[in-house]
Amino acid sequence: MMDRETIICRCEEVTYEELITTADSYHCSARELKLRTRAGMGICGGRTCRFLIEDAAEESKEKVYENIPLKYQPPVRPMRFDEGGKNK
Amino acid sequence: MNEAEVVIIGAGPAGLSAAIQSARCGLRVTVLDEFMKPGGRLLGQLHEEKKGVWWNGIEEADRLYEDAVNSGVHIRLGTTVYHIEKENRWVTETSEGTWESRCLLLAAGAAETPLPISGWTLPGVMSIGAAQVMTNVHRVTPGNKGIIIGINPLTMAIARELQLAGVEIEGIYIPPYEKKFRQMETPEQILAGMQRMAHLAPSFLLRVGSRFLVNQWTRQKAIQFYPKKGLSVWGIPIHFDKTVTKIIGENEVKGGFISSINAEGIIKEEEQYRKEVDFVCISGGLYPLVELAAVAGCPFYLIPELGGHIPLHNQTMHTPVEGLFVAGNITGIESAKIAMVQGETAGLSMGKAVNGTSRDIEEKLHQSVQNEKRIRAEALIQFHPEVKKGREKMHELWQNYVKESAAAKE
Ligand SMILES: Cc1cc2nc3c(=O)[nH]c(=O)nc-3n(C[C@H](O)[C@H](O)[C@H](O)COP(=O)(O)OP(=O)(O)OC[C@H]3O[C@@H](n4cnc5c(N)ncnc54)[C@H](O)[C@@H]3O)c2cc1C
Repeated sequence: MMDRETIICRCEEVTYEELITTADSYHCSARELKLRTRAGMGICGGRTCRFLIEDAAEESKEKVYENIPLKYQPPVRPMRFDEGGKNK
Repeated sequence: MNEAEVVIIGAGPAGLSAAIQSARCGLRVTVLDEFMKPGGRLLGQLHEEKKGVWWNGIEEADRLYEDAVNSGVHIRLGTTVYHIEKENRWVTETSEGTWESRCLLLAAGAAETPLPISGWTLPGVMSIGAAQVMTNVHRVTPGNKGIIIGINPLTMAIARELQLAGVEIEGIYIPPYEKKFRQMETPEQILAGMQRMAHLAPSFLLRVGSRFLVNQWTRQKAIQFYPKKGLSVWGIPIHFDKTVTKIIGENEVKGGFISSINAEGIIKEEEQYRKEVDFVCISGGLYPLVELAAVAGCPFYLIPELGGHIPLHNQTMHTPVEGLFVAGNITGIESAKIAMVQGETAGLSMGKAVNGTSRDIEEKLHQSVQNEKRIRAEALIQFHPEVKKGREKMHELWQNYVKESAAAKE
């Protein structure tokens, strides 16, 4: 068993406790869990904790086979504001 | 806007090998990579394949880079790709501008799977790959004495590299187990996977006795009666019956709490004791870095033998998305030699896509696909024992996809 105070999302400092209590009270999908707790929404864009969030959520395992539960969206890396909209 | 016939994302062994082949087919090729050196994960690799025969990744990277430049390939380093999109042609958006191309190859490699452990946000805790890059690429040791948490082929390879660099490894431990997380395994499951480390830990296997690995009951016994001091490989103790429950320190790593763990992953906290170290490596294994394939709308399947969600592709490295190719660890976690031969195949496929078919190119493609199978059969480092089965699954999924889309057209 993991210590519940362990931080899962390092960027937004979300603990395992917060993730599982949120998942339990709202029966959330991975996306909802992310939006409710901000886990996976920090500077690394969820590259570290995305699988942990997916597993902490209450989704059926079958759907996982053909789908990536948490969608990937551009930009896939953090970018500076002044780089947005530029067409060099 | 920049333009090329082929844009390749990733200057690792797959991307560079592909670039060389495409350029030799007469195509204008640009390779983009966010790192400041070419070679990808090759840059960290150093292992003894047989007595006296070393695999030196830096030399391999230099050779590929030179070949690519001599074949007329443009290589842009320090260039981060943010987004790819198919308009008429492929559009690749990066920190250094936009590229347009007829073909696009994703050779973005793999990333490390995290294992959350209490205290893992302290400075001095790093992934095992980070320790490898610090030591072998930047030539800075991660510390004087460290603990590694996680036992897999990457652990064994990098523990040896750290040792060769003069860094002391206090011990290698089992990660804490939590059923909810699919990438976490019990000590018994991890021991079952030891076969794939035959090459990296021969003395260990001899001592545990490979007969202990064959069934669950003997593996449970092996862990129950595991030597308290651990079994050593190159003088580094491996502890199959112990885990690190907490990494301690105030402003930086000072040590860790060690506890016994049984074959099912249950921890005995009452036997906890403390070890002093100045760094900790977490080694959770690798998964394919597929974010750009997902953004491009490629279909995916979860194939655990290949390391996670894999973009649908065939043996000549085509995806179902027109003009989009994949090669290397993005198609499944394997060694650098497999990445190279997959890159060659992809390079030839892009040559065919632009120039049209010919007997020469068909023969080369056929040869390259056969080479991949041969190299896999001879591979010394295997990240997953069932990788061949994983590749066969993907092949089947592709054939089904082709059948279904043909039926849909009719
Ligand atoms: C930490 C680690 C250690 C490894 N150790 C070994 C080992 O000891 N022996 C072994 O055989 N295999 C090892 N491997 C497996 C290794 O992945 C393969 O050997 C091989 O390097 C894979 O080649 P590749 O070309 O597919 O990807 P890589 O070599 O990973 O190259 C991918 C390149 O793509 C670039 N890239 C990715 N995304 C972007 C983006 N959005 N924009 C720009 N550039 C991007 C990266 O910077 C990188 O240079 C290791 C892998 C990792 C992650």
